[in-house]
Amino acid sequence: MCILEDYPFQNWSASDVADLSDALTQQVQDARGSGVQLQIAGSGSRIGWLPRAQGAFQTIDLCGHTGILSYRPDELTLTARAGTRLVEIEAALADRGQMLAFEPPIFDPAGTLGGMVAAGLSGPSRPWLGAVRDSMLGIEMINGAGEYLRFGGQVMKNVAGYDVSRLQTGAWGTLGLLTAITLRVHPIWPKQTTLVFNMQAQAALAACAKIAGQAIPLTGTCWHEDKLYLRLGGSEGAVRGARTALVNELSSAAPFGDQFWGDLRDHRLLFFDQPQSDWSSTLWRVVTPPGAPLPTFLRGDDILPLLIEWGGGLRWLYHDDEAAVKAYAQSVGGWCWALGHPLPTEAIQRRYMDRLRQAFDPEQVFCSPLDFTHGN
Amino acid sequence: MDVNKTDQRALLKELKKILPVDGVITDQAGLKPYETDGLTAIKEMPWVVALPENEQQVVRIVKACARHSVPIIPRGAGTGLSGGARPHREGVVLGLSRMTEILDVDCVGRMARVQPGVRNAAISEAAGVHGLYYAPDPSSQIACSIGGNVAENAGGVHCLKYGLTVNNVLGVRLVTSTGEILKLGGALYDNPGPDLLALVCGSEGMLGIVTEVTVALLPHPQAKTVLMAAFKDIVDAGDAVANIIAEGIIPAGMEMMDQQAATAAEQFAKAGYPLDAAAILIIELDGSEAELRDQAGRVGRLLNSHRAYQVVRADDAATQARIWRGRKSAFPAVGRLAPDYLCMDGTIPRHKLAEILMQIHRISEEEGLSVANVFHAADGNLHPLILFDANIPGQTDRAMAMGARILECCILAGGTITGEHGVGVEKLDTMCVQFSSEELRQFHRLKEAMDPEGLLNPGKGIPTLTRCGELGGMHVHSGRLPFPELERF
Repeated sequence: MCILEDYPFQNWSASDVADLSDALTQQVQDARGSGVQLQIAGSGSRIGWLPRAQGAFQTIDLCGHTGILSYRPDELTLTARAGTRLVEIEAALADRGQMLAFEPPIFDPAGTLGGMVAAGLSGPSRPWLGAVRDSMLGIEMINGAGEYLRFGGQVMKNVAGYDVSRLQTGAWGTLGLLTAITLRVHPIWPKQTTLVFNMQAQAALAACAKIAGQAIPLTGTCWHEDKLYLRLGGSEGAVRGARTALVNELSSAAPFGDQFWGDLRDHRLLFFDQPQSDWSSTLWRVVTPPGAPLPTFLRGDDILPLLIEWGGGLRWLYHDDEAAVKAYAQSVGGWCWALGHPLPTEAIQRRYMDRLRQAFDPEQVFCSPLDFTHGN
Repeated sequence: MDVNKTDQRALLKELKKILPVDGVITDQAGLKPYETDGLTAIKEMPWVVALPENEQQVVRIVKACARHSVPIIPRGAGTGLSGGARPHREGVVLGLSRMTEILDVDCVGRMARVQPGVRNAAISEAAGVHGLYYAPDPSSQIACSIGGNVAENAGGVHCLKYGLTVNNVLGVRLVTSTGEILKLGGALYDNPGPDLLALVCGSEGMLGIVTEVTVALLPHPQAKTVLMAAFKDIVDAGDAVANIIAEGIIPAGMEMMDQQAATAAEQFAKAGYPLDAAAILIIELDGSEAELRDQAGRVGRLLNSHRAYQVVRADDAATQARIWRGRKSAFPAVGRLAPDYLCMDGTIPRHKLAEILMQIHRISEEEGLSVANVFHAADGNLHPLILFDANIPGQTDRAMAMGARILECCILAGGTITGEHGVGVEKLDTMCVQFSSEELRQFHRLKEAMDPEGLLNPGKGIPTLTRCGELGGMHVHSGRLPFPELERF
């Protein structure tokens, strides 16, 4: 049981609570100058998204560093140790009618808060409720010198010093080891509904474009297998009103189970699990401006190997021709990433990212699957 | 930082080649407007002001300055409140005020791409024809520029619901200290690797010069309603704020004023605030008509249950504007109470509000200077306005010292020394209180990674360890004081 001085409602309990801060700091300090590199490890639920780190390294395991340290629903903030499981955080929040606005994917129930920040992946609500980085308020961390540091805090507005907390989003452990994280949380909308429209990809993008500028409580879009799924979330009245307006605008619609969005978020849809036999085995994550045209090279005998989220801003596709996908992403001003392959960054970005890495870890104590020297 | 005179002469020649005649200012009369920003108490005449009209010129100026080791002080509209654009007497003020083009408004992506000198309000004006607007609304929005907003991570009165600048900027083009162009983000919802875009927001022009910004736009809400509530006890008002949020309602804005501020605002703007209230709360709700009916009813009931003795609900634009007018004129109204005032910018967890206000009251009595409190209650951002008279010897110093004491209280409450105004030069000393020497050293190493020569806005944002050492700084973090058993006043 976690005793929290700040938590005014003691009606929940954290299952695993353990503070390993001192041991973790010691481990980093011991690694300095020993020639041993440390790879920060959470549950490993996201690690397959990047190639294995090069060289020999030891693992510094955060999974045992757990516990929700503070949760104040009236402040909309939660602080937890980095090894705390996301499912536990979600359950504590749901108990008070709150949630993580950016819907982090949970690929495995063991998935941790630290891994969520390190990978920086946001879920279906991203264009409307923000990304992981938008909810980051503060961190505690250990840098490569073995120093224990705190940045940001537990308040929404904070411009004291550089924003090291948000910088850590997507850093995959290159900028030090996060030990605790404070997030801004969000009320669960009182009413949620999902509408499904039959339409092809082109029409779905046009429909998303048409409703993009309207003040409706849209919280998710997904096109797949000739169906456009729209999710509305907000007050009862707002959702009802928007639903009527959308049905009038986009013709017939069928209601659909909300479970779909969890399956989409956590990649449990068949699209991710069991791709069609005639599809390529390479899954691309293509981030584009929402209004970008579709790629012309996609082929599928029955079903197009394509799934579109974020009102058009995120496109998952299976394709073998790397050059074609890259050319497409570049032509629309976006970027693409083949899962399991290095994260694509421009040479100049990598150079500055690498300099920042050196600023946090001058002796290269940490080793990460995110490699800034790749392709330089 | 000492600058070589030969270098200065050579640089001036180069600047005159890069820019049109009126783009390089060297005469005293022309330099005068640049000697200060919104923090007018601190002044310094710059050596030269350079006013580029495009990114290419910015690159060339930065490269020339780097070659001659001359510091660069980036400047937007000069409305910043912490002295972030205070000039360097041997340096170049790089004013982005001529880069004012709105390059693209994309209705489908709900985004706009603009140059850094575009005024905050001008973005919403341009997007308005598409039914869209740019959400962050610092009080200086009619004058301040988006480049400056990025530099300071500007806030406003709608931050709890719609976020700060960092939450509404999707991309920037950054000219680095060596004159390279670093593209961070774009018209995209996601970018690979560590979030350098977030790092740039709020970095006070110390990591690079922003030459283009892509911002997110939002559809105008269908409707809004404004409630004004008066309380006899400021603790009740604070509890009402916490409970509205705990109920799952995120107001578009929620502002509080104490009696001193509300009375001054009422006498100035005739907003209809009762003069006997210990605290006034203004709550703006937005959304669909149906949503507002539901939320306004719930908020009204919550206000009553927290002993609001007067609640006014305004659904019409004229009454809404009248209620807001008081709040929006609070600063000039308070300005009539004394020859000078100092505006502080601490942020605290909301539930510590009553405690902090009592501490401010005590400090005010001890120092013998009055304070009026204006508070972005929704996000815990407190603006105590310390009243003083700069013509009375010692009062300016006393006001500054008092401000520092208030900020230390904010840190002790688990908050921060600056919510939205930035550190600039104003809060360098209190940074020593908020951060440990290891943390400050980490900030310096981060700065060196982006600007190894230290040419971009030197002396701002992060204090040197020597400075903190000279202050004998007491480091307080997350409410943990050294020797907590000792009383401190």
